[in-house]
Amino acid sequence: MRAQLELHDVSVSYGQRRALEDVSLTVGAGEIVALLGANGSGKSTTLRTISGLVRPSRGRIAYEGRDITTWQPDGIVAAGVGHVPEGREIFSEFTVLENLLVGGHTAPAREIPARLQRALAMFPVLRERQRQPAGTLSGGEQQMLAIARALMAAPRVLLLDEPSLGLAPRLAREIFRMIERINAAGVTVLLVEQNARRALAVAARGYVLETGRIVMTGASSALAADPRVRAAYLGG
Amino acid sequence: MVISGLATGSIYALMALALVIVYNATRALNFAQGEMLMVSAFLAWTAQRAFGLPFWASIVVAIGGAALLGFIVERVIVRRSPTATHWDVLIITLGLSLVLRALAGMVWSHDEFPFPSLFSNRPVVVGPVRLAPVSLGIIGASLSLMLALYVLFTRTRLGRAMRAVAQNPRAARLMGVSVERMSSISWVLAAMVGAVAGVLVAPVVFLSTKMGLIVISGFTAAVLGGFGSMPGAVAGGMLLGVIENLAPLYLPSAIRYAVPFLLLIGILTVRPAGLLGRATTRKV
Repeated sequence: MRAQLELHDVSVSYGQRRALEDVSLTVGAGEIVALLGANGSGKSTTLRTISGLVRPSRGRIAYEGRDITTWQPDGIVAAGVGHVPEGREIFSEFTVLENLLVGGHTAPAREIPARLQRALAMFPVLRERQRQPAGTLSGGEQQMLAIARALMAAPRVLLLDEPSLGLAPRLAREIFRMIERINAAGVTVLLVEQNARRALAVAARGYVLETGRIVMTGASSALAADPRVRAAYLGG
Repeated sequence: MVISGLATGSIYALMALALVIVYNATRALNFAQGEMLMVSAFLAWTAQRAFGLPFWASIVVAIGGAALLGFIVERVIVRRSPTATHWDVLIITLGLSLVLRALAGMVWSHDEFPFPSLFSNRPVVVGPVRLAPVSLGIIGASLSLMLALYVLFTRTRLGRAMRAVAQNPRAARLMGVSVERMSSISWVLAAMVGAVAGVLVAPVVFLSTKMGLIVISGFTAAVLGGFGSMPGAVAGGMLLGVIENLAPLYLPSAIRYAVPFLLLIGILTVRPAGLLGRATTRKV
């Protein structure tokens, strides 16, 4: 499988605190890869570093063969790496439609209508609420909006940060079905999740982060069967 | 009285809009906005006097000069101090306003100069009322500019990106918006809006290095409308202009120049969020 996104020995510090230590991981084209770990283990930092929001102090990030380590976030998005941030971070004062249009900021103007229709077809609830301020949506609807907004840029790699956090089980299931559909349409996914069971169910492979280091990696089935993973993340 | 109040108010509104545009993009207050306006007006005047350019060309010079000044200030001062807090930037722009005023004094002296008006002096008579063309011209030109800004901010990709940055800069970055470019564009745009306000107000108040003090009225107007809100800035400007013009009718005439301050203090104690301000308490 062709590696689409690669991190080589990436280290990140926030002031004195080491957030990531020599993290190396590979995401192949068309894969869903899960990144597991406890709170504060560095999962979100990993995604933010890929997106260029955080600068690594050491190491190299390659995307489709290009070194993007020092790129600005807008260039990384334009190159095809989408990021659905933790906590959704939708533009709450904008309408649903405006949120989607900002999502298409890097898209050529003539492609916007088609992408908009595709996003609204995928999330019918957003179509109903197009004119509504995004801040008035429910948590699940906001998560769908955050995903639809990222898809407006037609990413080839999608970074998803805790997409099911705070959602009722039924909504969480729906979000995971969406992730599988997006992947089936050809988008590579790097998924950060607290809910290890669900993440491993959709992902082919996984990495486990612990205090900023990768401590384990393997096929999802192997990770799900590993006694240490079961004890720490799957509730025994 | 109300019409001339609205004319003054339009100028304040433009000033307030310029401040809000920069604030929304960078969360910084540009205290030098008034001096940038003053310099633009002097540039227009110089273009007419020294180079004999026609009036419309001098306005183009003023707006172009302001855009360049805004670009340079953002690039050289604001961008270079990324670790500076908003307070640091405030102090930097305060210092910049003093520097600009001193430099303008060296170039053009601190005297007052008459500035030609685009509009005739003959009053327009509508029924029993006599309207000054200057006032109508100022209101008309300001409203056109406000309409253009409205279209820019609500109907274009650039304007939407600028508003997205104002709401959540990090999320805007993840949409591929360059926050740095938006900061630069905001400074240029604000300087251009200020330049228009400058050439509109110069015929009324005379051209002098003291013109920059108008920033205080602009600031009051912005606070009045709820800082950060663009419709609020317009409403606040208009309201301030009318109150300032009507106040001397009911109160000692010397009160006029204290009106912005009194209003500012009043608003901050009674309704800190302003007329159209966003509620500061947010749902988590």
